[in-house]
Amino acid sequence: MKLSPKTIPPVAPLMAILSFVLAGVPSGKPQSPATAAPTVTFNHDIAPIVFQYCSPCHRPGEAAPFPLLSYEDTAKFARQIAFMSERRIMPPWLPAPGEFKFVGELRLSDEQIALFKRWADQGAPQGDASHLPPAPKFTPGWQLGKPDLILHARKPYSLAASGTDNYWNFIFPTDFPDARWVKAIEIRPGEKRVVHHANILLDREHSSRAQEKHPGDGFPGMELRIESQFFDPDSHIFFWKPGSAPHVEPPNMALRLDPGSDLVLNTHLQPSGKPESILPSIGIYFADQPATKFPVLLELQNDLALDIPPGDSSFVVTDSFTMPVDIDLLAIYPHAHYLGRELAATATFPDGSTKTLINIPRWDLNWQAVFYYAEQVFLPKDTIINMRYVYDNSASNIANPHHPPQRVRGGNRSVDEMAHLWLQVLPHGDAVPASEAGMLLDEALWRHDVARNPSDFTAQYNLGAILQLRGQTSEALAHYQAAVVLRPTDAIANNALGGALLSLGQTRQAIAPLQTAIQSRPDYFAAHYNLGNANATLHEFPQAISHFRKAVQLNPEDSMAEANLGAALAEVGELASSKAHLERALKLDPQNQLAQDDLQEVQRRLANAHKPSTNK
Amino acid sequence: MFPRLQRGRFVPLLFASIASFSFVAQTAPSQWSSPSVTDLNGHALDPFHHAVGKIVVLLFVRTDCPISNRYAPTIQAMSAQYATHAAFYLVYPIKSETIAQIREHTKAYGYHLPILRDPDYALVKKAQVQVTPEAAVFSPDGRLLYHGRIDDWYVDFARARSSPTTHDLSAALDAAVADKPVPIASAPAVGCFLPGLP
Repeated sequence: MKLSPKTIPPVAPLMAILSFVLAGVPSGKPQSPATAAPTVTFNHDIAPIVFQYCSPCHRPGEAAPFPLLSYEDTAKFARQIAFMSERRIMPPWLPAPGEFKFVGELRLSDEQIALFKRWADQGAPQGDASHLPPAPKFTPGWQLGKPDLILHARKPYSLAASGTDNYWNFIFPTDFPDARWVKAIEIRPGEKRVVHHANILLDREHSSRAQEKHPGDGFPGMELRIESQFFDPDSHIFFWKPGSAPHVEPPNMALRLDPGSDLVLNTHLQPSGKPESILPSIGIYFADQPATKFPVLLELQNDLALDIPPGDSSFVVTDSFTMPVDIDLLAIYPHAHYLGRELAATATFPDGSTKTLINIPRWDLNWQAVFYYAEQVFLPKDTIINMRYVYDNSASNIANPHHPPQRVRGGNRSVDEMAHLWLQVLPHGDAVPASEAGMLLDEALWRHDVARNPSDFTAQYNLGAILQLRGQTSEALAHYQAAVVLRPTDAIANNALGGALLSLGQTRQAIAPLQTAIQSRPDYFAAHYNLGNANATLHEFPQAISHFRKAVQLNPEDSMAEANLGAALAEVGELASSKAHLERALKLDPQNQLAQDDLQEVQRRLANAHKPSTNK
Repeated sequence: MFPRLQRGRFVPLLFASIASFSFVAQTAPSQWSSPSVTDLNGHALDPFHHAVGKIVVLLFVRTDCPISNRYAPTIQAMSAQYATHAAFYLVYPIKSETIAQIREHTKAYGYHLPILRDPDYALVKKAQVQVTPEAAVFSPDGRLLYHGRIDDWYVDFARARSSPTTHDLSAALDAAVADKPVPIASAPAVGCFLPGLP
């Protein structure tokens, strides 16, 4: 009788580390300066700018602290608006003007800024009522209309009146029977005036739940680590920024949301001076069609290089990555913490020419954002993406969380630093299938990370995982082994190593890492399943039965675990029990060919029960 | 409207007389009052009489300024810390803010301080302040000792330190309590511009 040689696809702890945003306002044509008007008036000159650039946030219920919807509102702040726009503090927009335009650019022209100043200098006159443009119209409530699914946080987070910035995560479990395709997620963060930005990560494996003290409580933390056995969840960025509608993916690029997935909302909160209760909700909009295009989220990063001496005002961190396939660049998201000063990325094309992808000359974590290119940027194979970040760890960096400055290294806490650059890219599917191109990209990225830092556990593990997915198990094995050397008791890496050894037929060698995985994580379904397989292959059936039983107990819905338990029971002659498990396996998955074959064999043996059973 | 007498304290001169006795202002500057400064019941309230021999601290705020709002816990805590020696007053100088708005604001932000409205900028001018939040410290006899920022938490608009490193208001108060000269008489504050000032 045969046993399934199936091994569980390794669970890849992709370091999905995100956090975000702010900026906002719809795009539109820039206002032309009213050179004809001798006197600058609100109605003629100022209102068109204010309505376009300021009102989307400066209105009741939105993030800005006071409304700018009328002459009275605006005149009260005339001098301040002039001052802040002249220094480009408002409207908030980090990138310097460059070769590529972004969606929703919030950048005032020099002429517009001059108008604000002249208006304030002239005493903020109102002007002729007939010149006043129509008041801006805003959509109340959900910006994209009624969502297909609305999820509410289960418990509010109480933000204290004072203190430093706060990072809180809310878990939204989902509950629908089939996979859905998501084109947009709108985040309603609760009290918008204290939520600086928010973003959503997909947690298919419920790996964040362990961080909650009680289910529904939420948990603190600026950066999230999500474990996933898929590489695709990192292909979309769902974030919230004040004052504008959420990004809607093109219809053919929706995100697959599997049944039972958790959505984790990561929020950046700033105390307002009074206690606040934060109770976010999220609205999900489903696409009509499954995706046909699959973007990939590439992450350039060099956190290892972050070891910034106190007082160093100009610490440079770089990384570069060569595109292994043709891609279109859709969006870019630079990320550093409080010491970041200048964040820039360029592309050097195969012909040697270089273009700036983004340049943020004065980084401010509070206004970080995902920037979508107005037109996608084609980057041919062999284009080199260069990231160059400059950090200021001197006392003169007012955002410096340490006084006096201290040595700062890479890490997930807000007092640590980060040097990350995410690129959302769409691989061209002409030469190779799109999914293959996506894997090539992932493989290239992890190879790049491993080459730079062989002691990067995540990179070693993920390179192993992608190689195994691509069928290169022998090479995968070497990287799993490296990962296990780096973290000898890590359950996931040991299970993956054991699984790879099993696949390569090195069954006896697989036993030890699988046992280590179970020791580290006794309720690890995949490790019990794999160890059961190893035992069974070695004809150690009592041990195999024990591990398959545990696997079935941990995941009663897994047809293969039931089938293998049934097969192992048959091997020790427990035919009645074997039959029950094989039948259950077929109930879970009527297409389970192995269970069908084994059940036939068991039924044959039961029919001949008076004869002694023989092992093959 | 005349200032009310507080706790039986003698009011040496009524404000109406000040202009004609300029020598009084030079030698005893405490004799100041403005009928436009009122409490939330619309009654004139002169903090320099009301404080009864204490150091007077005026904190200028407004309901819609995010920076002054974020200072609410600091202001309230400092008023308690210096309660023995200094009387703190919250001053709302924006004319268009209604009494109801101010009441709601003080409640939401947990203020338990005497409230003054200063729609004609009588206190703004006397304290030489420009923005909210901004503080002014007066000696018990009414001399302006310090005006400016509370601390260096905000360095610019939308640019705040994780926590302040220099505590100018505390330094001024510590000196005033010890009857010593304040370290600096003024430090520019970052905050929302008061409309109509030059």
